[in-house]
Amino acid sequence: MIIQTMALLVDAYRELCAKRLFWITMILNSLVVVVFAMVSINENGMKFLIWQMPADFAGVTITSETMPPGLLYRTMFAALAVPWWLRWVAVILGLISTAGMIPDLIQGGTIESVLSRPIGRIRLLLTKFVGGLLFMTLQVFVFSLLVFLVIGIRGKSWAPEVFLAVPIVVTMFSYLFAVCVLIGLLTRSTIAALLLTAVVWAAIILVNAGDLFSVSIHENIKAELRLEQAKVDRRERNATLAILGERNAEREAAGLAPLEALDPAPTSSELEARDIRLPVTKLRVRELEASESIASRWRRVIYFVKAVLPKTGETIALLGRWTIDEEEFARLGAPPPSDDRQRVAQEGSEATAEEFDNRPLWWVLGTSFAFVSVVLGIAALIFRRRDF
Amino acid sequence: MTDAVVSIKDIHKKYGGFGRKVHALRGVSMDVPRGSIFGLLGPNGAGKSTLVKILITAVKRSSGTGTVLGKPIGRKDTLAKVGYLPEHHNLPKHLTGRQVIEFFGAMAKMPRASRRSRADELLDLVRMREWHNKKVGGYSKGMRQRIGIAQALVADPDLVILDEPTDGVDPSGRRDIRLVLQQMRDEGRTVFINSHLLGELEQVCDAVAIMHKGRVVSLGTIEQLTEGMLRYEIEIEGELDAAGATFGRALPEALGKGQSAGPSPTAELAPPTDAGLAKRVGLRGELATGESVEVHGNRLWIGTTEAATIQPVLDAIRAKGGVIREVHKHRPSLEDLFMQAVEDDDSPGAARASSRGQGGRP
Repeated sequence: MIIQTMALLVDAYRELCAKRLFWITMILNSLVVVVFAMVSINENGMKFLIWQMPADFAGVTITSETMPPGLLYRTMFAALAVPWWLRWVAVILGLISTAGMIPDLIQGGTIESVLSRPIGRIRLLLTKFVGGLLFMTLQVFVFSLLVFLVIGIRGKSWAPEVFLAVPIVVTMFSYLFAVCVLIGLLTRSTIAALLLTAVVWAAIILVNAGDLFSVSIHENIKAELRLEQAKVDRRERNATLAILGERNAEREAAGLAPLEALDPAPTSSELEARDIRLPVTKLRVRELEASESIASRWRRVIYFVKAVLPKTGETIALLGRWTIDEEEFARLGAPPPSDDRQRVAQEGSEATAEEFDNRPLWWVLGTSFAFVSVVLGIAALIFRRRDF
Repeated sequence: MTDAVVSIKDIHKKYGGFGRKVHALRGVSMDVPRGSIFGLLGPNGAGKSTLVKILITAVKRSSGTGTVLGKPIGRKDTLAKVGYLPEHHNLPKHLTGRQVIEFFGAMAKMPRASRRSRADELLDLVRMREWHNKKVGGYSKGMRQRIGIAQALVADPDLVILDEPTDGVDPSGRRDIRLVLQQMRDEGRTVFINSHLLGELEQVCDAVAIMHKGRVVSLGTIEQLTEGMLRYEIEIEGELDAAGATFGRALPEALGKGQSAGPSPTAELAPPTDAGLAKRVGLRGELATGESVEVHGNRLWIGTTEAATIQPVLDAIRAKGGVIREVHKHRPSLEDLFMQAVEDDDSPGAARASSRGQGGRP
C-alpha cells in the first residue's frame, strides 16, 4: 500500500516537473519575492530600491520607528503576498496545472493500465487528489522559504510562522481542487473542469462578498442605531432636566422645596414638546431598528448559505490572525474619528472585522472540510461505480 | 476444465440506460487453459475489449460468474499476478522507459530492488536497453509497444492480457513480439491476446475464441476448429467454361463409382451440356463414401485428407481429357475460420444455433 502510494506521489511530482507551467510559476514566485525584498523602511518612510515612497496609510505615517522592518515584511506577507499573490495568482496557476490530472487519468489507455493493478479505486482517486495538492505545497513552500529568508536577512527578524502559509494556502486550494476533480471526473475534460471550477469559485466569492456586505451593513446600522439611541437618551435626559428645572423654578417661586426628580416622569409628548428635534431622532431610531431587523435577517440567511460552502476568504485570513500581532499595530496609533459619520464607519468596520476574526476555527475549517469530504465522496462514488 | 487460468460463465454486460441500452456481452462462457496462448478474435464491436476489461476490473459485469487465477473476477489482489497491455495505451510521457516499467512494478506492490532488477531483465527482453533513459514521449509507436509489453510483464505475472500487442508495429517488431509471446508460454505463463491481426494470432495461438455480436460463436484449438474443414483441392487447366465442361463429364463417372448409398450428387452436380457448370460455382455434393465435393470454377474441393479417396476422381478427370495443374491438401486459415464463424452467425436462424453453441471449452 505504501509502495503504491509513494509511486503515485512520485509520479505526480515527476508529472509536475515535466510541466512548463510548474517552472513558470516557480519563477514568478521568485520574482515576487525579489520585489518583496526590494521594499525597505527607514526613518523617513518606505523605500523601493533607491526611491523613497510616501508612507501615509489612513493617516498613519509608516517609518522604521513606528513599524520595525520585521513587522513591515510580515505585514506585507500576510496582507499582500498571501491574500493577493498566493490566494489568487498562485491558486489560478495551480488549478491550470492540475485540472488535467483526473481527465488524463481516466482517458482510455491510461485508466485500464492503472486499474489492472491491485489498487482500490477510491485510494487511487484520493492519492491522485493528494498528488494535485503537491503542486501547491511545493509552490507555497518555496515561496514561504524565500520570504522567510527575506524577513530574516532584510528585516532582522526570523519569522517561522510564515510557513503557516503552506498548510493554509494548500487547504484553501484543496476546496477548489476537490471541485475540479469532481467536474473533471464527470466531464472527462480539462477545459470544462477548469471553467466550471472557476464558476463555482465565482459563486463562492459572491457568497463571501454577500456575507461581508451583509455583516458590514448590519454592523454599520447597529453602530448608527447605538449612536442615534444615545442621542435620543441624551435629548430625553436634557429635556427631562429642562422640565425639572422649570418645575423647580416654579416651586422656588412658590416657596416650595426643589424636586430631586420628576414623579411621574414626563411623558413622551412633554419631552418632544420640550425638544423639537427629539421626534426626528426617535423616528430615525425606529427606521434604523427596522433596517437592523432586515439586515439581521439577511445576515443570518447568507450565513447559513455560506455554512455549506468552503470558506476560502476566512481560511486565508487565518494567516493574518496567526502571524500579525494586533498589539504591534495598536502602537501605530490610528487617529480618532472626527465626527459621527466617521465614528459609525469605524465602529462598523471594527465590529465587522471582529465578527470575522471571531468566527471559530471549527466553523471556518470544519465546514470547509465537510464540503471537501462531500465533493470528494461524490467523486469517489462515481469513480468506484464507473466502467472505463 | 479445472486448470483454467480464466474461467467465465454466462457473462452479460449492458451499457447505458433510459432506452439507450447496449447489450455488449450476451452470455459469454469460456475457459482459458493454463500455459497457453489464447486468442480472442472478433470484428469491431464484438465485445472483445469489454470482456478483457471485465477481467481486469475496469468494467463491471452485469451478470455471470467467473474466476481469474482461481479467484472470483473483481478481486484486486488477483491482479498482482496479471499483466495487462491496453489497446491504445497511453504510457506516461513524462517518464522514461525504465521509469514506466518501475512505476507499474510499484503499482503491483513490488519492492524497489526487485523493480530495478526486473526492469533490467525486461529492457533486455524487449530490446529497449539502449533507449531506457529516454522519455516515452519521444518513442516511436513500436518502442512504446515494447515498453508496454515490458510493463505488463514486470510483476512476473501468471496471466498476461495483451490487447492488440502488434498494432502499429513493423514486421521486424512483430516477429520480436511473437518471440516474446512464445517465450512467455515457455515460461509457463498464460497469454490472452485480443487482436484482429489473424495472421499474427495464427502463428502463436494454441486456442482461439471467436466473438461476434457479444457472443462466442466459435471456441477451441485451431486443430479442433479446422477439423472437418481440411480438404484436397484439385485444379485443372483451362478457362472456366472448359473446366466446367471437363468436371461435368468426369464427375458423374467419378461419383458414380461404388456409389451404393446416400443421395446421388450427380443430380446436384449435373453435368452441363453447355458451360453452365462453371457459373454454378459452389455447388455441393457428396462422394458415395460421404466426403463432400464442391466445384469452384476450375477447382474441385474434396472434403478428405486421404489421398486414396481422391484417386478415382483424378482418374476420371484425366480420362475425360482434363489436365490436372495442381493437387494439394488445404488447411483453412484462421481468417477462413473467422469469416465462416461470423458469416454463419449472421445467417438466418444463427442466433438460435449460436445460443445453443455457447459454453464450449477448448
